[in-house]
Amino acid sequence: MALVKRTHDDNLPSEQQAGTPKTLEELQQQLQGSHPLERRQAAQDIVDHEGATALLLAQLERETSAVVRQVILTSLTRIGDRDAVFGLAECLRSEDARLRNDAIEAMKEMPDQMAEIVEELLADDDPDVRIFTVNILESLRHPHVEQWLIDVLDHDDHLNVVCTALDLMGEVGTEAAIPALQRVGSRYEDEAYVQFAADMALKRIQSSAE
Amino acid sequence: MSKLISDQEFATFREFFYRKTGIKFEDTKRYFVDKRLLERVRETGNDTFREYFTTLRFQASGEELQHLTNLLTVNETYFMREDYQFDCLVKSILPEICKTHDRSKPIRIWCIPSSSGEEPYSIAMWLLERWPGINQWDVELIASDIDTGILNTARQGLYSERSIRLIPPSWKTRYFSRVGLQYQLCDDLRSAVEFTHVNLSNVADVRRYRPIDVIFCRNLLIYFDDVSRKAAAEAMFDVMAPGAFICLGHSESMGRISPLFKVRKFPGAIVYQKPLEES
Repeated sequence: MALVKRTHDDNLPSEQQAGTPKTLEELQQQLQGSHPLERRQAAQDIVDHEGATALLLAQLERETSAVVRQVILTSLTRIGDRDAVFGLAECLRSEDARLRNDAIEAMKEMPDQMAEIVEELLADDDPDVRIFTVNILESLRHPHVEQWLIDVLDHDDHLNVVCTALDLMGEVGTEAAIPALQRVGSRYEDEAYVQFAADMALKRIQSSAE
Repeated sequence: MSKLISDQEFATFREFFYRKTGIKFEDTKRYFVDKRLLERVRETGNDTFREYFTTLRFQASGEELQHLTNLLTVNETYFMREDYQFDCLVKSILPEICKTHDRSKPIRIWCIPSSSGEEPYSIAMWLLERWPGINQWDVELIASDIDTGILNTARQGLYSERSIRLIPPSWKTRYFSRVGLQYQLCDDLRSAVEFTHVNLSNVADVRRYRPIDVIFCRNLLIYFDDVSRKAAAEAMFDVMAPGAFICLGHSESMGRISPLFKVRKFPGAIVYQKPLEES
């Protein structure tokens, strides 16, 4: 027994597979295969095909393996087109908390694409979707994050959405947010938590400005 | 020849190179990248960056892209670097793998990037010197890199005094001979490691290595952006045998890259493991 060189014959099947790119139809079939490894590989290989986004989103909804779901989300992030980000946004309406959380994490990785639909999501009829969107803003590396939060403080009429935005404003807000924080205090003067969170945010911003 | 690369050209190149290799250059690397790009513009006989970039994008052989990749990757390393992980390998990781591994099959260890060979050769020495199991098990050591030039350097096994300074003196005597100002690694060790060309951003490239029992992927993913890093981790996950381990550099954490792996805290090091069963 010792250090030995790899026996290439062991790997022939996978080397052959690697050399023959599959068609979109083949990958679509493989994406619904019975073995997670098969589905993971299809989710990776499909990235360069036109029409991949819709197939990945469809599989994401029915996928039972957490590992395969991660790979699908990475592929959607890599594709990063408008359909991918819209499809992920739809997942925010899902009853499946894991799917929602996975979609939120993936959307955080797509700041430019997210920027195109943030306003639309923040105007959604469903307050939960608006709260999840604020959750995405938490880690979205985009220069407009503060302005989007200011808009929520000024215009959203759902207390929970406003409170979520207030919590985040306490972390990311700058002097530009001070007027909006004062206004939201007036808008919800009977809500103790809003008063508390707005005061906290204002104190933090003012102390870091000094 | 235009001596400048415009901001727009740099941005276009950066995106292209990222798509091909997963490596993203921040603005702070602009000088480093521009210098090498202009060198290649000149040496390939092009007048402008634009002309050169056309060659780079559409050349069927991909030869120029490889040449440029070799220039733009960093290969600074030395023997026994972060050797607490090698200690963990022989004291904790391999003993655990041996409990369930099919004895008729070799244990496969993969180093990516291989750089100029210091890491895989260090592992080879560590196994021979510090792991009694080497008498009962076959071990395959594969080392891969995106830089074809550095692979040739690794195969030659010729090192400077600085590169081998942390090797114990008795190992130095056993495995090296002095050639002028340099040190030549012995043929037995050189032939024990298989060096191969791999682009971690190309999943088809990576799949050829399944099944891997231990991966050393240290200080490579720091050059990738978040999405490529996650995709690379998933590509490695795919080639790992159930229960296989991955060792990252001391400043890297898999927890910040992908949730697929389990954290394993061994006495000597924190490493990451592919679960024995997929959820």
